[in-house]
Amino acid sequence: MNATAEAPRRRVFTRIFSASLRLGGLLLLFAISAHAEGVLHLYNWNNYISDETMARFEASCRCRVKQDYYSDNDEMLAKLDAGAVGYDVLVPTGNAVESLIRRNALRPLDKSKLPHLKNEKPEFMNLWFDPGNRYSVPYATTVTLIGYNVEKMRALHLPTDTWALIFEPRYLAKIKGRVTVLNSQRELMAAAMKYLGYSVQETDLAKWEEAKRLIIRAKPYWATFSNSTYIKDLAIGNIWVAHGYSNDMYRAREDAKAAHRPFTIGFETPQEGAVLAVDSFVLHKSGARPDLALKFIDFMLDGANAADVSNLIGAGNPNAAAMAHISPAIAREPGIFPPPATLAKLEMLRDFEPKMRRSLSRMWTEIKVR
Amino acid sequence: MKARHWLWAAALVTYAFFYLPLAVVVLFSFNDSQLNAQWVGFTTSWYAKLLHDDEMLGAAANSLLIALLSSTIATVLGAMAGLAMQRYRVRFLPFLVLTPVAMPEILLGVALLLFFRQVLDLTLGLASILIAHVTFSIGFVAVIVRARLSGMDESVFEAARDLGASPWAAFRRVTLPLILPALVAGYLMSFTLSIDDFVITFFVAGVGVTTLPLQIYSMIKVAVTPEVNAVSTLLMAVTLTLVFLASRFAPDVLKAKA
Amino acid sequence: MAEVRSRARELTKWAVTLPPTAFLVAFFLLPALIVVAASFREPGEFGGLAPWPAHSLDAYRFLFGDVIYLEIFARSFAVAVLTTLICIVLAYPLAWLIAHSPAKRRDLMVLLVVLPFASNFLVRIYAWIMLLGPANLLFTPFAVIIGMVYVHLPFMILPLYTNLENHDPAWLEAAQDLGAPAWTRFWRVTFPLSLPGIFAGSALVFIPVIGIFAVPELLGGTRDILIGNLIKQQFLEDRDWPLGAALSILLTVVVLVLAALATWGARRRRHGAKAAP
Repeated sequence: MNATAEAPRRRVFTRIFSASLRLGGLLLLFAISAHAEGVLHLYNWNNYISDETMARFEASCRCRVKQDYYSDNDEMLAKLDAGAVGYDVLVPTGNAVESLIRRNALRPLDKSKLPHLKNEKPEFMNLWFDPGNRYSVPYATTVTLIGYNVEKMRALHLPTDTWALIFEPRYLAKIKGRVTVLNSQRELMAAAMKYLGYSVQETDLAKWEEAKRLIIRAKPYWATFSNSTYIKDLAIGNIWVAHGYSNDMYRAREDAKAAHRPFTIGFETPQEGAVLAVDSFVLHKSGARPDLALKFIDFMLDGANAADVSNLIGAGNPNAAAMAHISPAIAREPGIFPPPATLAKLEMLRDFEPKMRRSLSRMWTEIKVR
Repeated sequence: MKARHWLWAAALVTYAFFYLPLAVVVLFSFNDSQLNAQWVGFTTSWYAKLLHDDEMLGAAANSLLIALLSSTIATVLGAMAGLAMQRYRVRFLPFLVLTPVAMPEILLGVALLLFFRQVLDLTLGLASILIAHVTFSIGFVAVIVRARLSGMDESVFEAARDLGASPWAAFRRVTLPLILPALVAGYLMSFTLSIDDFVITFFVAGVGVTTLPLQIYSMIKVAVTPEVNAVSTLLMAVTLTLVFLASRFAPDVLKAKA
Repeated sequence: MAEVRSRARELTKWAVTLPPTAFLVAFFLLPALIVVAASFREPGEFGGLAPWPAHSLDAYRFLFGDVIYLEIFARSFAVAVLTTLICIVLAYPLAWLIAHSPAKRRDLMVLLVVLPFASNFLVRIYAWIMLLGPANLLFTPFAVIIGMVYVHLPFMILPLYTNLENHDPAWLEAAQDLGAPAWTRFWRVTFPLSLPGIFAGSALVFIPVIGIFAVPELLGGTRDILIGNLIKQQFLEDRDWPLGAALSILLTVVVLVLAALATWGARRRRHGAKAAP
């Protein structure tokens, strides 16, 4: 060991040490001083409200909005379950809204503060997860459907309006390794149930077993389970068929267009029916500023502001006044705004009781292992 | 000396393995394509966008701050634990030090969140993230310090004490120089662990406090744009600059070496 | 004098032991006890945990009553072993070179090992997706191993380098004087002396690899499920905390037992080596 060479290194190291401590103290001060003004805390999906809309709200309420993000309802619920607090507004999906209500975690809405509530379409009000909308205001909708490479499907003569495309080996044989499905027990098994003609809220385990067998039979033909990368893979052309969300498919289509790909991406709700997700604004009990939260929700109910989410990411919209502000290409897209006949065939996911959840989880594990 | 050439070849392969994906990251931060899947054309617009993205920059600053602080604390505590395990053979310590490394990160995240909120009733924020990061980093430092000490002749330390050195002086003049490479390695490991952690941070992060991994993971649904590549490149540049500045603080050192 | 010495030694021992112990007891052991307790509770109707009095061994019974979970454990261990071995092979030459470089270059080489990790995990994995995709290797077990090795390699290189840098050249010189060829010198002197480094590195690679879920999720195909994915599923999809906690605890215990066995084996080996010249 060369002691003379080590001594200077020690000094360098000590410097890093003390410098980082000092820098830390400084930044900590900044972090604390930022907490002084009127701030609305939003726990939201990323990219669910555009910067411009947010800036307009901040100007009108003379407050600041701080957003934290989750990419999955269950992430958000797990965090709240363990006791995280301080969020004014959440944007959960229907089943998560129900679960939050049942846990007594939400603050009832003061509707006198929500004059724009009348803008909501009646078919999205008074849903099973919150009868009478005591707690929730629908904000955006999504359909879980099939997205595909239009040219490839045409060349291979494959039907795109049925779940058979991702479950039947006779079709899958032509697109082996070019299909992804959602890495979600709830969504994928729901699609299989729909294909079999059952309800996604079915409680008979024998029927779910049938769905499991259907999935295991189709699995060798799939490339992978993917919750996010399929957007890119569809747009690049690595993948020809994907089971996923309508807004993601919209994005894949726009991305492919922007990148001048030699093909187009289409998406369609299978005729057997599919899963509909309705995301709503709710007030968490732990929020410090319910006043700002209500102001925010009412602001977002205004047609021009409500249209934002559809124009931004291609989400469906439960707000009637928004329709005039949504770009016609999106407003006319049946995959995003399902016509009444399709809407009637859509079902929302509903949470099961713990024993049932565990049985389904066991099936899902088997699906993954096989 | 032929063996040395083979070694260099093998080492270069390893470095290439490290830097091949990294080259992709840096290159595609200049890609003129939102989709960012194929090279389209050169642009610096993502850096321009980044400079106006307070959310992303704030998250990066938080990440850097937490990484610097947590790795410093973890290095001190981990070195102590390593010494205690190797020199004093404290029985229960290996268990206590290794279990946080062995425990799946989701469980550790949930455990810490439950503990912070329901036992301590702590307001989550930077401090809770800091504590969590120190907790999972200590083990890494302790293991490496212990491995460094384990090959060593204990008589050196005894000799120093026999010559009348105080425990502190013996530590500074004998032990510290000997374990220094392990401390540097431990510090660097803690730093990378901290700056990259998503799962545990997700659980213990407070309202309005975000780190870069949290910010980037939430974008995974939105599709990851070249801006993320840009911020990653920036973070590496900042790290490099910090190391450079730290070594510039002691110019005499470099002169002595050269 | 001797008494003062031993008292000072005792004092130093406590000064060194107490801070990390106190920190880990407060911020690891206590939180860990909460989740150990959680594994004996019942899942709440809508997630989280059922109110306190309800408790049972259901979660463990469920796991032990089913070979499928054993199979996933076995698979995860196989991946971890393979990853660790590849890391050793890739790390050794580089660690040796770093340890035998002049001090100035040494720092640079160490820095180059960790610098990629100052970028973001997800971004690096996306880069691998771009690299592996055109080669038709994406969504395969091979891609999973590549990702695992990539993420954990520095944790092998750094302990190994700290160990190799510490070897007394006198040993090698002695072997050379005795006429041992280079290869023999390596196997009989350098390699045995570097075992603590390999050991530390293996612990820091093997142990985290087992619990990781993001790599198989993003790079793996339809069959690449590891124990980490299973645990994540319990917490972040099925809202079954007791089952997730039970799985995690089983995994932790198995890993610690393995580590203890390895330590015990290494110690025996070392003592054996000392006894036989």
